[in-house]
Amino acid sequence: MNDSLEALRGEVLEHIQKSDSEKELEELRVGVLGRSGKVTLLLRGLKDLPAEERPRAGEQLNQLRRLVEERIDTRLVAIKEQSRERALKEEQIDITLPGTRWERGRTHPLTLVIDEIVDVFLAMGFEIARGPDIEDDYYNFEALNIPKDHPARDMQDTFFVSNGRLLRTHTSPVQIRTMERRKPPLQVIVPGAVYRHDDDATHSPMFHQVEGFMVDDRIALSDLKGVLSHFLRQIFSQETGVRFRPSFFPFTEPSAEIDIQCLICGGESSAARQTCRVCKGSGWLEIMGAGMIDPHVFKFVRYDPEKVSGFAFGMGVERIAMLKYGIDDIRLFFQNDLRFLRQFG
Amino acid sequence: MKFTFNWLKEFVAFKATPEKLAELLTMAGLEVESLTPLREPETNQSDWLFEVAVTPNRGDCLGLAGLAREVSALTGGQTKTAPVSSPGKGPDTAKRINIQIDTPRLCSRYSARIVDAVDVAPSPPWVRFRLESCGIRSINNIVDITNYVMLETGQPLHAFDLDRLPARRIVVRPARERQKFTTLDGVERELATDDLLICDGDSPAALAGVMGGVETEVGAATRSILLESANFDPTAIRRTAKRLALHSEASHRFERGVDPEGTLAALDRAVDLMSKLSAGTPAAGVADRYPRKPKTATLWLREERIGKLLGVRIDGKLAVKILRSLGLDARREANHNRIKVVSSVRRPDLCRETDLIEEIARLHGYEKIPTTLPPLRSGGKKDHRLAWERRLRSFLAGEGFAEVINLPFTTETFNHSFVGLWGDAPTPVAVMNPLAKENAEMRLSLLPGLSENLRLNLAQKAETFYAYHLGKTFRAGPDGESEERQCLAGVMFGARPRVGLRHGEAATAGFLDCKGLVEGLLDLLHGAAPVTWSGETTDILHPGRAAALRSAGRKLGHLGQIHPDVCDRLGLPPFFLFELDFDGLLEYAPRQIAARSLPRFPLVERDFAVVVDRAFPSRQIVDWIKNRGETLIEDVSVFDQYMGPPIPEGKKSLAYKVSYRAEDRTLTDSEINSLHQTLVEQIGRLFGAQLRS
Ligand SMILES: [Zn+2]
Repeated sequence: MNDSLEALRGEVLEHIQKSDSEKELEELRVGVLGRSGKVTLLLRGLKDLPAEERPRAGEQLNQLRRLVEERIDTRLVAIKEQSRERALKEEQIDITLPGTRWERGRTHPLTLVIDEIVDVFLAMGFEIARGPDIEDDYYNFEALNIPKDHPARDMQDTFFVSNGRLLRTHTSPVQIRTMERRKPPLQVIVPGAVYRHDDDATHSPMFHQVEGFMVDDRIALSDLKGVLSHFLRQIFSQETGVRFRPSFFPFTEPSAEIDIQCLICGGESSAARQTCRVCKGSGWLEIMGAGMIDPHVFKFVRYDPEKVSGFAFGMGVERIAMLKYGIDDIRLFFQNDLRFLRQFG
Repeated sequence: MKFTFNWLKEFVAFKATPEKLAELLTMAGLEVESLTPLREPETNQSDWLFEVAVTPNRGDCLGLAGLAREVSALTGGQTKTAPVSSPGKGPDTAKRINIQIDTPRLCSRYSARIVDAVDVAPSPPWVRFRLESCGIRSINNIVDITNYVMLETGQPLHAFDLDRLPARRIVVRPARERQKFTTLDGVERELATDDLLICDGDSPAALAGVMGGVETEVGAATRSILLESANFDPTAIRRTAKRLALHSEASHRFERGVDPEGTLAALDRAVDLMSKLSAGTPAAGVADRYPRKPKTATLWLREERIGKLLGVRIDGKLAVKILRSLGLDARREANHNRIKVVSSVRRPDLCRETDLIEEIARLHGYEKIPTTLPPLRSGGKKDHRLAWERRLRSFLAGEGFAEVINLPFTTETFNHSFVGLWGDAPTPVAVMNPLAKENAEMRLSLLPGLSENLRLNLAQKAETFYAYHLGKTFRAGPDGESEERQCLAGVMFGARPRVGLRHGEAATAGFLDCKGLVEGLLDLLHGAAPVTWSGETTDILHPGRAAALRSAGRKLGHLGQIHPDVCDRLGLPPFFLFELDFDGLLEYAPRQIAARSLPRFPLVERDFAVVVDRAFPSRQIVDWIKNRGETLIEDVSVFDQYMGPPIPEGKKSLAYKVSYRAEDRTLTDSEINSLHQTLVEQIGRLFGAQLRS
C-alpha cells in the first residue's frame, strides 16, 4: 500500500506541476479527489483493511488529499498570474499615438477680447447697455454736440442708409439713449459694432467698440483716471505705463487721449524705440479716448450739469486685439479663414 | 499742421530741445505725430520738421503765431513778432479799389492791399525750403509769400492780378444757382446759392475762402496785384468745400475759424516780405471793410468748480496765472471765490466755464491730476443676454463650431435668395454710399456671409467647415423705420472635424445631425414653452429636408439641407444650415429651473415596432401616446427606423420605447403587459400600422 501510495503521490504532484490551464487542473482534481477519483476510491477501500492498519492508512490518505488540494490551488494562482501577465503584454498599445477626439470649436478673437474688457468693467459694478446699429443723425451726432457742418464730423466718415438714417459711427449714441431713459447714478458699458467709410490694413468699414460712462453727483477727472488706469492694467499688465494727455472730442470736456507704454519695445530705452514699427518710435500706443461728459450733452438728455457730472470713454476692440495678439492686418478678423480662427479661443 | 523748429523760434523764445518741445506739445493736446531732422539748403543749418495733429477746436494753432502763444504758455518764453515796415507809396489803396460786402453774415471783414511793379519770379531757396518742408508746393514769389504768411499767421491770403479786375470794385456775394466758375486748378465748377463769391463788379474772381479763379491768376505778365485778407463764415466755407470736394489750406483754416482781428497784420507782413524780396512795390494804405466785429463776453469761473470737475485742488491764484499765460484777461474776485475772464476773439473755443477749466487742466498737466476710484453707488447688474450668449458660444465650441464675424453688407442677389427670418419678401436696408457698388445692401440673413466663408475655406483646402455667426440682421420696416434682429446661423459641411486616428470613413453631417444640434441648443436653453417642428418650404432649402421651429406659434428658425438649385447658383457643394431668431430664443429661455425629486420606484421599459408608409411622421405616434394622459407612462420615444427587406417597398418600420412607472409602487409585470398590449393594439388600429415583433 505504501509503495503504491508513494507512486500515486509522485504521479499526481508531477501532473499538477505540468498543468498549465484551469481546465486541466479541474479535470485532475476530479480524477483524484472527485467521487470516483483515485484518492476517493482508496479512502473508500479503507474499510477492507485490517482494523489496526486503518487509522494510519486513513491519516496518510487524508494527508495526500490535503496536499493535492493545496498544490492545485497554488498552481491555479500561478496559472492565473501567468495568463494575466500574458494578457497585459498582449494588450499593450502605442501610447505615442495621438488621442482621438472631436475637433474643438473656436470663439472669435474679437469676442474673446470683448469678453475680457466687459468682465473687468462688470467686476467694477458697471452694467451692459445696447443700442441699434442703424441710428439717426440726432443720436449719432446732434445730441453728442456734433452739429451739422462742424469739422468734427470729418473725424468720422459715415455710411448713410435708406430713409436718411446712418450706420452708427461710434457706440456713443447708446450713451444718449440710456441717459434719456434713466436717471443717475449710472455706470454703463456698451459693446458693439460701429461703421466708418474706410477700408485698408488698419481700418475696416465695420469694427467694434466698447463705450462706457459713469454719471453721478460728483464724478471728477481724477475718477476717470483711476477707473481707466485700473482697467488698462487688468487688460494688459499691472506694470503697464498709462499716460493721459489732452485731446478733443465734441461730447467731452475736458477730453483725454489715453496711451499705454508700447507693448513691443517697452517704450523705455530710446534705442529700442527708434526701430519699433508698432509705436513708430514714440514709445506709446494710443489705446482709448475719454473725457468728462460735456454740459451740452447733459442738456440734450435733460440732466442738470450743475448737479451731475460724469465721464465717458471709448476704445476700439480690433486695435486692442491686434496689439494683444500681434495681428498686423485688421481684415483677417472678417475673412474668417479657419487657419486664422483656430489660433484663438 | 507742419512747421519747422527754427521758424517757430522766430515767434517765441524758448530753450527746449526739439524732442522736449514735441513732448510738451503732445502733453498739452497738440499731438506731435512726427519729428524729422532737416538741413537748410543755403546755411546748412540743422532744423526739424514738426507734424502736429491740430484738433478741430484749435483753429488758432493753424499758424505759427498761434502755436507760439501756446509754446509761450507752456514754457514761459516770450512771444515775438517780426518787425514790419510797409508804409507803401503812391495813391491810397482805398481810393484805387472799392469793397462791397453784400452778406456780412458770411464775410465779417474784407481787407486788401495793392502791390505794384510786380516782378513774378521764383522764390529764394529759404522760402522754397520752408514751404516745401511744410507740404506746400512752391509756385512763384507772389503766391509763395501768401502761403508763407498764411503758415505764419494762420490768415489765408489771396493775390489777384489787379489788371484782371477792371471794375476795381470787389463785391462779396452769394453765387447764383448753377452759376459756372473755373477755379485755379482749371476745373469748371457748378455753384449753388450757398457758395460765396468774390467778384470784380459782376464777374466772379474767386470762390471765397476756398480757391481763386483761373481768370485772375497771377502770372508772368502780372504788373500789379490785389492782396486779399478776409474773414469768412466757417459753416459756409465748409459746405462749399464739402459739396465741391475741394479742400484747400485756406478752406481748412476758415472752417476752423480765423481771427478777424488779424487781417491787417497778415497783409502788412506779406507786402513787407514782397518788398524785401523785390517781388514788388507796396502801394500806400489799405482798403478795409469790417461790418461785423466779434464781441467779447464776460465769463465767470467759480473756483470750487475746478476741484469738483478735476478732482485736484487748484487755487484761484494759480488758475488766474494759467489763464493769463494764454493771453486771457483774467481777474480774481477773491471775496466771491470766482474769476472774471474776458473771452478772446483769438480763442472762440473758450466761451464757457467748462472750457476754462479744461484749459487749466491742460496747462497744469493731466499727469498732476491724481487717480481716484469713485464710490460705487449704483451696483452692478446681471446681464441675461450676455449670460446666454456665453453659454451658447461655449456649447457651439464644444460641438466643433468656429465662430465667424462678417461685415453686414451684401449684394442684392444674396438678399434676394436669403431673406432670413423676416417672412415674405422683406425690404432690405439700402446703403446709399457703399464702398463697393455691388455691396449696397444690409444683410437680411447671416447666411450669405457664412456661405462666402465656406467658399474661402474650401479654396484653402478645408475638408470640413462647421461655423456659426451670432449677429444682427436688418430690414426696412413697413413704416420706413429699420428693424434689427439678433440671429444665430450656422453651416455644417462635411464630416464633423476629428483629431487623431481615423475610424473608418467619417460620416458626413446629415439632416438629423443638424436638427440634433439645434435640439441641443434648445435643451441648453431649458425652454419655458414647448417647441414644435414642421416641414418648411423655403427657396433656399431642399423641400424634403427642411424643418421649421416654432414656439407658441412664433417661428424661431429653420434648418435643413441647402437647396440643390441654390448650391448650383453659388457654385458650392451641398451643406446643411440652420438659422435661428436669437432674440426669440432669449424670450423662450427661462431664468428659473425647478428641480424634481428623484423617483422612488423602478422604471420598466417596453418596446414595440410598427410598419407604416414611408411618409408617415414618426412623431405622430409619440404625440398621440403623450396626449393620452396615461399617468403610468413616463416617457415615449422613437429609437429606430428601418427600410428594406423584409419590409415592403414604400413602407418603413419604426421602433418605439415606452417607459412605465408609478409614483407610489412597483408596477407588476402583468399590469404593465396588459397596459402595453392595449396601447400597441390601439396604435395598430388608429394608424393603420402593422405591428412587428
Ligand atoms: Zn514700440
